[in-house]
Amino acid sequence: MSKLIMSDDLRRYLDLIPDLDLELLLEAYERPLPEAFRTNTLKLPEEEILQRLRDKGIEFRPIPWARYGYQAEGGVELGTTLEHMAGLIYLQGPVSMAPVEALDPKPGETVLDMCAAPGSKTTQIAQLMKGEGVLVANDISYERVKALSSNIQKIGVLNVVVTVMDGRRLPRYVKETFDKVLIDAPCSSLGIISKDWGVAKSWSYRVVERLSRLQAQLLRAGFETLKPGGTLIYSTCTLTVEENEMVVDKLLRERSDAVIKPINLPGLKHRHGVTEWNNLRFDPSLKHTLRIMPYDNWAEGFYIARIVKEG
Amino acid sequence: MRPLTSGERRILENRLMRQYGVEEAFKDLILVMAGQKRIRACTREAYEFSKKLRKVQQLGIYVAKLRGEDVVLSIEGSQLLGDKIKVNVIDLDEDEAIEWMKASPIRIKGEPTGKYVVARHGKIYLGSGIVSRDGKIYPQVAKWRRIPEL
Repeated sequence: MSKLIMSDDLRRYLDLIPDLDLELLLEAYERPLPEAFRTNTLKLPEEEILQRLRDKGIEFRPIPWARYGYQAEGGVELGTTLEHMAGLIYLQGPVSMAPVEALDPKPGETVLDMCAAPGSKTTQIAQLMKGEGVLVANDISYERVKALSSNIQKIGVLNVVVTVMDGRRLPRYVKETFDKVLIDAPCSSLGIISKDWGVAKSWSYRVVERLSRLQAQLLRAGFETLKPGGTLIYSTCTLTVEENEMVVDKLLRERSDAVIKPINLPGLKHRHGVTEWNNLRFDPSLKHTLRIMPYDNWAEGFYIARIVKEG
Repeated sequence: MRPLTSGERRILENRLMRQYGVEEAFKDLILVMAGQKRIRACTREAYEFSKKLRKVQQLGIYVAKLRGEDVVLSIEGSQLLGDKIKVNVIDLDEDEAIEWMKASPIRIKGEPTGKYVVARHGKIYLGSGIVSRDGKIYPQVAKWRRIPEL
């Protein structure tokens, strides 16, 4: 049986992160991620979709923190089912559903998903908006937008505009426009190494520094597109402080109207955001952000911050 | 991408009426032409909002394609029309629906009157298929939507 190979640099780095159990983390990395899905209520009522799955002998249990989210049991292969191909269910990791639940988009709102491809969170936002309001799904890559478009099609989202541009340029066109903004930023992916062990082998601190600068710029731009009183979720699927708390702290220092708000997601195991790191002290309100280790829920690792623009 | 003119929209509605018995097709939605005679549908609000943006790649979803004098409905296009489709609709059982989603030909049941039919499995509509002289219907399922053959 093959074994996960982790670079010495990454091992040393992870040892420094407070409240992290390296043994448990390695165990989580070696486990496959659980098979989870959302029912697509834009096409059929939830109970009818669930009954179809039950009729096929598929067992599942609700994910407590995600409306319409379920975890399949018994190693079932959902990816080739009629329900999946017809767009009645959408396969998505259970913790990956948490950022959109924290955003809580509502029908009639104007919402931006700034780094949208491949579209898991976009389609989740669309479902919660129930086809009312406007959803802008943006990504920088034409190639990745193909997957985004396919998923939007399959789920049947009518109130969406797909744009392809560098998210950092969006404030030029849509300043203080959106009720809700999601920035699920490109990251070093330490929370989903179970999907790709290669990440653990090739990890480099220089890449983290580069990503951290990009993430700070994306967050600043996303905040500029937010209406006063609007809510922004910043999330990553990684564990480094440089890509998470440090990015959010930078915004809090620059913008006095940016305020961290607590997140309440029932049943989601997590720990608090870091407020001290490497002789740096961050804004104390960062303790209200969520750090989710892969072994907390035996699923993906994530970081989630909820920021409100006062005014 | 441009919105259908009222004339183009009327032609589409007439064809949908003739082929599938649909009245008031895609009412309340904006229809846009998106290259290769493909028609997409989106909400009016999304369409109006898109005018503020740059680098708009797509609006809403692909619902239909014009082919000669006919209209081929996508899976989502047929799902949107749903019970408005009154003629040339065939009902599939679970096994047939799976074959349809593999784009495998289905043997004709009854006597379809047109060149195209729409497949339905319970409340799920699965898009258009071509009726062939060999007694089979050939589902028009995009490659990326097909259930892979194992």
